[in-house]
Amino acid sequence: MTLPLELPLAFTLEAFTNVGFWSGVLVTAGIYAVVTLGLQLNVGYTGIVNFGQAGFMAVGGYTMAILVLEAGLSFWLAMPLAVLVTMAFGVLIGLPSLRLRTDYFAIVTLAMAEVVRLAAQNAQGLTGGNKGLYCNFEGVNQTCFDEAWQSVNDSILGWVEGFWPDVDPLLPLLLVVWATVVIGIVALNYIQRTPWGRVLRAVREDEDAARALGKNTLLYKLQSLAISAVLGALAGFYLALFLTTIQPDDYEPIVTFFAFGVLILGGLASYTGVAIGAVLLWTLLEGMRFVELPISEERTAALRFALVGLVLILLMAFRPQGIFGKREEMVLGR
Amino acid sequence: MAAEALLEVEGVVKRFGGIHAVDGASFTVDAGSVTALIGPNGAGKTTLFNVVTGFDPADAGSVRFDGEEVAHLGAHRIARRGMVRTFQLTRALAAMPVIDNMMLAAPDQPGERLLNVLLRPGAVRAREREITEEAMELLEVFGLREKADDYAGTLSGGQRKLLELARALMARPRMLLLDEPMAGINPTLGRRLLDHIQRLRKEEGVTFLFVEHDMEVVMNHSDRVIVMAEGRVIAAGEPHEVRADQAVVDAYLGTPA
Repeated sequence: MTLPLELPLAFTLEAFTNVGFWSGVLVTAGIYAVVTLGLQLNVGYTGIVNFGQAGFMAVGGYTMAILVLEAGLSFWLAMPLAVLVTMAFGVLIGLPSLRLRTDYFAIVTLAMAEVVRLAAQNAQGLTGGNKGLYCNFEGVNQTCFDEAWQSVNDSILGWVEGFWPDVDPLLPLLLVVWATVVIGIVALNYIQRTPWGRVLRAVREDEDAARALGKNTLLYKLQSLAISAVLGALAGFYLALFLTTIQPDDYEPIVTFFAFGVLILGGLASYTGVAIGAVLLWTLLEGMRFVELPISEERTAALRFALVGLVLILLMAFRPQGIFGKREEMVLGR
Repeated sequence: MAAEALLEVEGVVKRFGGIHAVDGASFTVDAGSVTALIGPNGAGKTTLFNVVTGFDPADAGSVRFDGEEVAHLGAHRIARRGMVRTFQLTRALAAMPVIDNMMLAAPDQPGERLLNVLLRPGAVRAREREITEEAMELLEVFGLREKADDYAGTLSGGQRKLLELARALMARPRMLLLDEPMAGINPTLGRRLLDHIQRLRKEEGVTFLFVEHDMEVVMNHSDRVIVMAEGRVIAAGEPHEVRADQAVVDAYLGTPA
């Protein structure tokens, strides 16, 4: 097959050989994989539709930064505390709303995430409003929430540069994020295969049947949501470290919906699928920046999202179980 | 024989909007008995089941199981006390293998708590082995052993009914409430189901309360019959007494042609 040389749809492959492109894509994909592992636990294995992951990310990220900047805690102490706060927040949200039907619960979580974001936008004294949080300046001294991370980052880079001179500066974050993804997948797969995971799947299949067999289904849904909130908090930290700032705009509902895109692409009820789905979605999204079309840049940007939508529609039509999902579980579940 | 009452229901009321689905129902079920609950459609039998097993909170009245008030307890707590129900439409967990359906129902699996999964993996595995064995034995009894690894959703309607009964038994119940166990299954399987019920009552002392429309089954296989109409219990007694009761004939059975 020969292609005409002057194709209007030119595609520069240079981007794909660029290390900077891949480190950016993989860090973003890894952060999304962490968030989406929580969604997989909720949607794929518990049958609760959580539209509030962006909210948990924001609670985690903001809590960590506020503890460092306002309370003067160390970054390493602020992180576990922020995880606990986010977990407690998840339980607090879930306690009244998980008694509702799936669709109402979904609406509550979406509203929760927006409330968090709008609160962050308006509680300027604490969150810096739309400017967000990064550093505090007091005279000549400045403290930044990610100082501790930056120094670790620099020492890792310094060491690696000894044998790999032009190492990508994102490498340390990339390693941490993907280590989290791998540990998350292994741990979640493990607990999924235990009796605890069996009850969770029973809740997904038929909550009443599980209750009739003596299972406290609310407790299991709460645990599922709490674990998901923890993963959201971790992703919130990584996103803050990646962007080196925390702003309300980074936690819009679109974040949750990209995560759902990852979930659908990878397939329901597969944790490995989440990681693959995240890499595919972000390679697709970022790669399309380099498609040269005879239209304006804003239009190209809009087209990227339209194409992702198209891919998802085609997937639903021809492979609804996603790449790694089990078709039997989808068909028999209904 | 002065049997002890295992289940005592007194003046239970359940309203949906203005409709009194159950309107002051009272009855008792003796320990070790097989009791049938009959009545015309809309008499409130299924609603009564839901209230007794904690799926719908009662608006008034009391439900005592083994002498203790359970009306305020959640469905899962009542099930743990040994009163386990099945549903009119089978609730096989379709996208889970048959064996997992069975193992799910087993009580006292420490591994159902996340903390034990992490801290006591040995105890979890040991109990898991016991449960697997118990489940396979029960599946053998119910003729479902070959299906153990199939998804429950691939079973026929009748097999699902058997699975639901077998699964309920895994929960080690003292009393089973079966909502139309014979509906939608072929006579051969129905026969086997009835044999299982009689055997379990005799060998394990399980008490049964079941909703049924087939009068043949009700009259030949139950010790006592409770008749409901319009949310109330209108008669209760041995099958032959109930059959002769004029109120029951008028409300439900009709005069034989």
